[in-house]
Amino acid sequence: MNLLNNFSKNKTEDSLQLSRRKFLISAVNSALVMAFAPLTMSLTASASEIIKQNGFSPSIWFEISTLGEITVHVARCEMGQHVGTALAQIVAEELGANWDDIRVEHASSDPKWGFVMTGGSWSVFQMYKPLSQAGAAGRITLIEAGAKLLGVAPKSCDVKDSKVISGSKSVTFAEIIKQGKFDRTFTPEEMNKLPIKSPDKRHTIGFDRLALDVPPKTNGKAVYGIDVELEGMVYTRPVIPPTRYGSKVLGVDDSNAKKIKGYLGYEILKDQSNWIEGWVSVIAESYHSAIKAADAIKVSYKSGDTTNVSEQDIIDEGRKLVNTKSAGVLFVNDGDMDKAFDSAASTLDATYITHTAMHFQMEPLNALAEFKDGVWHIHCGNQSHSLTLPAVAKALGVSDDSVIVHQYYLGGGFGRRAYGDYAIPAALTAKQYGKPVKLIFTRPDDAKFDQARSASVQKVSAAINDKNELVGYEHNISAGWPTLSMAPGFMPKGIDNTGNFDPFSTSGSDHWYTIANNRVRTINNPLAQKTFTPGWLRSVGPGWISFGAESFIDEVAHELKKDPVEMRLAMLDGKGKNRGHHPQSVHGAKRLKFVLENCKKAANWGQKLPKNEGLGIATSFGQEREMPTWIACAAHVAVNPTSGEITIKKIFMTIDCGTVVHPDSALAQIEGSILWGVSLALHEGTEVSNGNYIATNFHNYTPLRMNNMPEMEINFVESKEFPVGLGEPGVIAVAPAIANAVFHATGIRLRELPMKPEHIRQQSKQA
Amino acid sequence: MIEFNLNGKTVRTDVPDDTPLLWVIRDEFGLKGTKFGCGIAMCGACTVHLDGAAVRSCSMPISMAQGKKVSTIEGFEGKHPLQEAWIEEQVPQCGYCQSGQIMQAATLLEQNGSPTDEEISAHMSANICRCMAYPRIKKAIKSAAEKSNSAVNVYDLASSVEG
Repeated sequence: MNLLNNFSKNKTEDSLQLSRRKFLISAVNSALVMAFAPLTMSLTASASEIIKQNGFSPSIWFEISTLGEITVHVARCEMGQHVGTALAQIVAEELGANWDDIRVEHASSDPKWGFVMTGGSWSVFQMYKPLSQAGAAGRITLIEAGAKLLGVAPKSCDVKDSKVISGSKSVTFAEIIKQGKFDRTFTPEEMNKLPIKSPDKRHTIGFDRLALDVPPKTNGKAVYGIDVELEGMVYTRPVIPPTRYGSKVLGVDDSNAKKIKGYLGYEILKDQSNWIEGWVSVIAESYHSAIKAADAIKVSYKSGDTTNVSEQDIIDEGRKLVNTKSAGVLFVNDGDMDKAFDSAASTLDATYITHTAMHFQMEPLNALAEFKDGVWHIHCGNQSHSLTLPAVAKALGVSDDSVIVHQYYLGGGFGRRAYGDYAIPAALTAKQYGKPVKLIFTRPDDAKFDQARSASVQKVSAAINDKNELVGYEHNISAGWPTLSMAPGFMPKGIDNTGNFDPFSTSGSDHWYTIANNRVRTINNPLAQKTFTPGWLRSVGPGWISFGAESFIDEVAHELKKDPVEMRLAMLDGKGKNRGHHPQSVHGAKRLKFVLENCKKAANWGQKLPKNEGLGIATSFGQEREMPTWIACAAHVAVNPTSGEITIKKIFMTIDCGTVVHPDSALAQIEGSILWGVSLALHEGTEVSNGNYIATNFHNYTPLRMNNMPEMEINFVESKEFPVGLGEPGVIAVAPAIANAVFHATGIRLRELPMKPEHIRQQSKQA
Repeated sequence: MIEFNLNGKTVRTDVPDDTPLLWVIRDEFGLKGTKFGCGIAMCGACTVHLDGAAVRSCSMPISMAQGKKVSTIEGFEGKHPLQEAWIEEQVPQCGYCQSGQIMQAATLLEQNGSPTDEEISAHMSANICRCMAYPRIKKAIKSAAEKSNSAVNVYDLASSVEG
């Protein structure tokens, strides 16, 4: 399964398909432009003719001005990962650029960019090869032109610091561009054969650079979606109906709102896509007035049918589903699971529950919409133009090409800004009210409209043979599916052809342990699905699925009286389907084994600990088997036996993500994601009650703060292999490592997230 | 009409008295560096200084600013030792909370030139960073403290410029 391909399979302009495109180099307006040609362009013309054509918008391009400034255009958003810096580093490396010459531009929406999604921990993995090749093509072209100017053979030349150098002679890129003529096309075959630098010659990849987006984020100058203003705009706050779907406005009484200074009126929104139903927009001259007026206005509704749904109902439904034979879709079916159970000397099973978890990104959802000269302009930070733009167009009842989405810094994405449905009420209000509309969700509005990580239930079962070996492993997982709601066309078929499934809510169950018989069923929870919009939350499926998988492996080890680390190491033999393949998963499970051994050493596994302290370990392979980020995590915890409070003394993590492009940003992502893991394990979580999330603001949704930050020891494996994703994978193994450590400390097995002191107190009493 | 000093300049506004200082700073005076996070003084994204003390501008009615000195991140003009440390330590990820973090940290250094880890945690736990860049926030505060000679060596435009 390749999640990225699933996501973009219907799109001809997928950037993975860059390998089928020509690469064009030409001088335009005196700058040197280097770009992959769009597939839709006629390619009989020369590079310079194509680049000058109207509407030329390639998926990747960079340009060098006569001043020597190198601008790399990036179709990815900045939401904290410093992705522009990393992607520009890849270009700079092959081009031989001086880093001081590099600028980054973040592109706005244009369908010709192809399928654009900043998520899935995909960016570097996806762009590494095409950007390297693009840089290399630029280097070759500059060397050819530079060699002519220097009167030397191209073979004698190299590039360094934005110069072409031959012996003692050199000429700057800027000089070459001023004097040279460029009109060159590389065929896809030529691109694929371009010499890419060997790792020992690198000067930019693998070295730290100050992230380009950091300075404006320290002085208040960075512009986020919420900061954008337009002439003549009005402020809007939504009034969100009592149920996520199926509500209808029966009447609006704004007599109290009329008493508020600055109140301008309201609109009952008409969404042609029915994504939002029963919404009212309150319009005012200032946002403060909009907040007050929305509080004062009285809307009566006919509610949808989920007004009474509770967390317990959703979990009961999930529990029923994971215990229903043949429910859902078959995802893994190795060996013969039924036979393994039938011939087992003993069996073991456990059920794990994770509760609703929310985004609570710091910048509340917002969008600014304006209709101008026949085009809808949407201003908002978002992770995916490709998901957001068509959703807005559909709601407005217009074609995709009459909507442009303008990109800004994101005050946190974490998956909430992938499907930018928050732009829909802004656009509809602007349409109905006839003015540019700045719509801002208050924090409680944002929480109410969150696309939460669905509560989940998973049942894992083991078949043990008479030699005390784990020979069968069955995993049934159930939750609300984000992709079913927001991108249903991107759901692949299960292997038994009984239906389609959400790969993002399934990945993580296809582990790299070699076990003879293995079956996974993935099951949608329809009650969760209709009560709220299940969302992609940083680390997505693996973030909760691995809690079950890696806790259960521990349970089996203890049942078999084996060391949980040794048992894992033995199953990570890298044989059969766990061999991996070139380039991204080369050496397969053996790399997971290596990080596990490293982490075991770092954490001093087996050390004698004081009473009520424990060490637990877990592994993760990141977001997907086809892009494995190899991680082992150990948690050292102390448990207060009376209060049940869990204190994290230290987290150890070893990561092999292949080539690290930008080490300091990579470290920052791991630091943040370990803390996310701790936060989701112990501090975060809410429940559904009366069809809504209970959490409304930071007083009742409580992500980890600095006073709960544990010590961390982070080790990256030095690797020259293909780079994989890093934005999310650090989250995954933390919760099971903590649960396993709690068991080590107390003998109490916690099978529910978040882990709460009362869970420990309850089990202490029972013991 | 309410009059107050904003980053060293006297400003006047006639918004309703109960309007939070946050929206006046952002939407009346166009200083967008101060952010809206929660509206209930729980996250710290909107932190500014009122007469030198860190306050949550989302929950402070403009009437309380009458005659007082308000400093925002823009008032530091990129010259505060914390801002330099924030770049050196590469603190921000999404960056949305960082104006508030810096304003909050500045009041710690004003009172305490060499805070311990525990003192930093206690002071900074009032502010949420959703990217959880906490290790670097802590490091940057320590590094700024080490580089500044005294506890009161804090760039304060509101008191250095006539209002």
